[in-house]
Amino acid sequence: MGNVGLVLGLVVAGSVLFAADKIILKKPPESLKKYYPPQSQKFEFLSNMYSMSTSFYAVNLNINEGNWDKALEWAKKLKETYLKTSKMVPEWKDYFKPKLAEDFVKAVQSKNVDRVIEASKKLGQTCSRCHQDNQIAVKLVFHFPSFDEIKLEDPIEFMEVKTGDYMKKLSNSMKALRIYLEQGNTEMAQEAGTNFVERARGLRAMCSKCHTQKISEEAILGKAFEDALAKIEDLITAEKPNKDEIFKNLALIGNTCTKCHNVHLIPEMVQEAFAK
Amino acid sequence: MTLLLILIAVVVSGCERLERVFVEEDLLERPPAKRCADCHADIFKEWEKSRHALAWKSEQFRRETENFRKLKCLSCHAPHQVDPEKKPALRVEFREDGVSCVACHFKEETKAMHGPLKVWSPPHPSKKDLSYIRSNFCAGCHQETYKEWKLTKVQKTCQACHMPSLGKKDLIQKFPFYLLHLAKPRHSHEFPALKAKPEDVEVRIEGNRLVLKNVGVPHNLPTADQGDPKLYLIAEVFYADGRRRTVRKVFSPQAKTALVYGRPKVVPLPKGEIREVRVKILRRLAWSDKRELIKEVTLRTPSP
Repeated sequence: MGNVGLVLGLVVAGSVLFAADKIILKKPPESLKKYYPPQSQKFEFLSNMYSMSTSFYAVNLNINEGNWDKALEWAKKLKETYLKTSKMVPEWKDYFKPKLAEDFVKAVQSKNVDRVIEASKKLGQTCSRCHQDNQIAVKLVFHFPSFDEIKLEDPIEFMEVKTGDYMKKLSNSMKALRIYLEQGNTEMAQEAGTNFVERARGLRAMCSKCHTQKISEEAILGKAFEDALAKIEDLITAEKPNKDEIFKNLALIGNTCTKCHNVHLIPEMVQEAFAK
Repeated sequence: MTLLLILIAVVVSGCERLERVFVEEDLLERPPAKRCADCHADIFKEWEKSRHALAWKSEQFRRETENFRKLKCLSCHAPHQVDPEKKPALRVEFREDGVSCVACHFKEETKAMHGPLKVWSPPHPSKKDLSYIRSNFCAGCHQETYKEWKLTKVQKTCQACHMPSLGKKDLIQKFPFYLLHLAKPRHSHEFPALKAKPEDVEVRIEGNRLVLKNVGVPHNLPTADQGDPKLYLIAEVFYADGRRRTVRKVFSPQAKTALVYGRPKVVPLPKGEIREVRVKILRRLAWSDKRELIKEVTLRTPSP
């Protein structure tokens, strides 16, 4: 088999191919926590993943260029990191097959392309198996901020509440606004609308905990969001509130809700489920 | 005796050479704030009570920065060197001192302590620097508040309110050296956050609206760059038909609803013939859980 074949072989071996009717998320092991914030700022486990991935590709690259000596150096580095990583998370030790890492080095040493392809496939499969079982859950748990510690003061009740509870209050005041408008109860609609606007404005305090750059805050809760809130505030105080206009502006605000939920809600739901 | 020796030394060597003799080298190597207290005991005691002293070690700062991981926040809480309108770099040493003596007064460019007064200070070179009496000195960190203040066009500087005058006082307390110095105009290093006075916030009824105006504090009320201080409004509205409604509102820099100086803020009240509105305005500082009353007033609509 020529070098093109080797490239394909290594690419397949090194990547994660998902093909499934269902994906089951397993709770990441406790011992993994020490390689992620807040316990560590160094992302040691993840760094090893990148290191192994680079080594794998370096072997591929150097063999394609006929530089077997360099390929061997990278293969040895890969083996070293692989062995080190296999000891980092005891709960995952069975995913690692140290002998296959050794075989991979020997294959590169033999300068036999077919042997390298075979060894890399076998070694790569140990990576893939672990990634298939754990990668999504780990990303969702460790690579997204947790809202667990964030508390917000409700601007209507003047009480500090958890993010989830704040969101419920926000969403309920929006629903109440819709309901009272549909029922023609103007006074109650005005109260619910004011509460909704206040709570929506209060969201900035949450976003700004992480989005400290003004530009990113503006992209999330920017002018369109603020204008829509101001319009609702204005519309609900009219003698006969224009229902359609209010709903139109609620839809604009909904765009912001969707944007943030698309990024944060799924990780948050997974984190919450694992925390129970 | 010491005094006599110094006087003789002055005559013999001249002031400039004497200054070199008495220089305490460690003062030019960015010492901790406690070291400055050896001479400037009173200023140190004031500073110790200030939020500047707690800027790094406050529990809230640790929590909000997730154990000092939010890098953007750090440099203003332990600045290396404070210069007008320039965001400082993060200090390497003694971060627990927060906004410390050397952060504001020691300049790398001159290797001297800068301040607004001309002083004779043998232990360290000193330079008179008028930037210390201008508002833009604070602008490197208090960027938003500085912008708000500029828009008000009020002449009163940050220092005029937040470093109030203490009259003429000794700059140093170390015996016997304080005997060699004249008392100088001193300003508080407690950097008080201050509380708005009742008359700083105007409140009036206009039809079915309550109108609030910040007329006394020449920046937004409340103000902050990243903190989350709040102003609370509780308005109990009494109607001619006997109904009673309560309107609650929060004004904060984070929600972009703080009271801009001189600009009316309209709070719509539930419809009906209003007879009376009992208004309470409270504040909560960014680092405190306590709500403090600023103003309490009952407004009545004129009888028809």
